[in-house]
Amino acid sequence: MSAPLLSVYDLYAGYQDFDILKGIDLEVHPGEIVCVIGPNGAGKSTVFKAIYGFVKVRQGAVRFDGQEITNARPRDVLNAGISIVPQLRSVFPQMTVMENLEMGMYLEKNQTRVRRRIQYILDLFPRLGERRAQMAGTMSGGEQRMLEIGRALMLEPKMVMMDEPSAGLAPLIIRTIFENIQRLNREIGLTVLMIEQNARQGLEASHRGYVLELGRNAYEGPARALLDNRDVRRAFLGGQ
Amino acid sequence: MDQFLQALVSGLLLGGFYAVMALGLSVIWGVMGVINLAHGEFLMIGAYMAWGLFRFFGLDPFASLLLILPLMFLVGYLLQIILINRIVERPYLMALLVTFGVSIALANTFKILFTSDPRNVPVVYNGSMQLVGITFPIVKTIIFFVALLSMICLQIFLQRSRLGKSIRATAQNKNAARIVGVDINRVYAITAGLCIALTAAAGAMISPTQAIFPFMGPPFTLKAFTITALGGLGRIPGALLGGIILGITEILVSTYVQGIGTNLGIVTSFALLVLILVLRPQGLLGGLRPLDAEAE
Ligand SMILES: Nc1ncnc2c1ncn2[C@@H]1O[C@H](COP(=O)(O)OP(=O)(O)OP(=O)(O)O)[C@@H](O)[C@H]1O
Ligand SMILES: [Mg+2]
Repeated sequence: MSAPLLSVYDLYAGYQDFDILKGIDLEVHPGEIVCVIGPNGAGKSTVFKAIYGFVKVRQGAVRFDGQEITNARPRDVLNAGISIVPQLRSVFPQMTVMENLEMGMYLEKNQTRVRRRIQYILDLFPRLGERRAQMAGTMSGGEQRMLEIGRALMLEPKMVMMDEPSAGLAPLIIRTIFENIQRLNREIGLTVLMIEQNARQGLEASHRGYVLELGRNAYEGPARALLDNRDVRRAFLGGQ
Repeated sequence: MDQFLQALVSGLLLGGFYAVMALGLSVIWGVMGVINLAHGEFLMIGAYMAWGLFRFFGLDPFASLLLILPLMFLVGYLLQIILINRIVERPYLMALLVTFGVSIALANTFKILFTSDPRNVPVVYNGSMQLVGITFPIVKTIIFFVALLSMICLQIFLQRSRLGKSIRATAQNKNAARIVGVDINRVYAITAGLCIALTAAAGAMISPTQAIFPFMGPPFTLKAFTITALGGLGRIPGALLGGIILGITEILVSTYVQGIGTNLGIVTSFALLVLILVLRPQGLLGGLRPLDAEAE
């Protein structure tokens, strides 16, 4: 197996004086889709925030693409090649689709490259292309998600972290989102680390999975194996 | 009819000034959710700077803008880094208390330094000209055009430049701004610098038209608040609209209501504010809600 692109080792982090994460281990290999599931409050989003420099890492290490990024600032994490689609809505509502994409490449100063990249993303998601001049805040939930994903791809990241990409969307749209994630993975070799509340669908779209519980690793393995595991099914996939 | 037309023109001229005067408050509020109660004091400082430069160096108040703008940008920038960045993420009350404290400290410091004697900047062109039967006070007309020009520049800066876009992005969703790599604290500091500089410039510009004293600030803060309630947070066209509404209302009231006296500005402004907040608590154009609120 190849060297991991992202490796999180024995991670401790939390809010105020309280540790939410108590020794999380996680690996993502190049070209993989990895899905993290677990009950509400398990600390899934906190793992992302710790990787991204929003929450202080108190112990352990985060390494990405051969670089140590423990407690790096968000812009350094971006520069290292990770972008994020957070759990809460994150488009700029009073900016157009184009401007939102442009903001995705805020760290790039060369405007020609920004424009070329915007065109690439608009071709990748024709739906966004049709709405390029629309204010992002007036788009549907699914369209806003696509825009957030498109914006996260602007800097040509090696890996995108998505916190519940399907949250709050209609079943049909959820399917489109997962199909798009798989398509990006196939076509441009995008590595994806995602958190999913729709655990079954999330795992079905992924290569491997992790189950977190109370800030610790509970289970991990190939997505197929987790879907078939009796304990995981009973506790996290809604029975059967 | 002539009197009415004259009132409209005077109100419009005053409104242009009110708009730049209010923008600093409205943009800081919109971008970082802080209501700066020391707003009027920064205007007061600008007026004193113009007075000092005029009195001791013979510098014209409009020329002195070239010194006042960069200097007060620096003051705003440093104030933000040293003080305000610590309270931005805290509850509203904290920011109100701190900026209220700043306003008291500034006004009283200026009282100690310069006493409360009113100061004047008697420029030579303080007359007026007649055009199609309407009187245009020269200074107020210049102020109007400088105000318009600075608003156009600011609007272009916010809409087109990379830095301006990062300011708008932060106002609309600060978490999202952070994840695309915007350094929020730097954006806040630059915003504060711009706003304080603009407010001080407004103070310098009106220095030829009114008495300058340490406690001249609060009525301006109140008026800026009213204009923001009218025009919305951080919106330049909104501020222009709000400024013109307030300016015209004020002049109409003073033209047609007898014996309302010198406090008319505050009375009109306060009445207007109460009216808006009762009828449309979300602001006249629905812009009083911080943009970031929906994202949190
Ligand atoms: N900003 C914060 N301050 C204090 N505690 C927080 C904060 N954010 C999250 N927490 C707490 O940390 C714990 C883990 O939260 P986290 O958001 O990581 O959970 P999660 O697994 O993503 O849950 P969900 O599936 O509901 O999104 C929760 O108990 C939560 O209350
Ligand atoms: Mg979460």
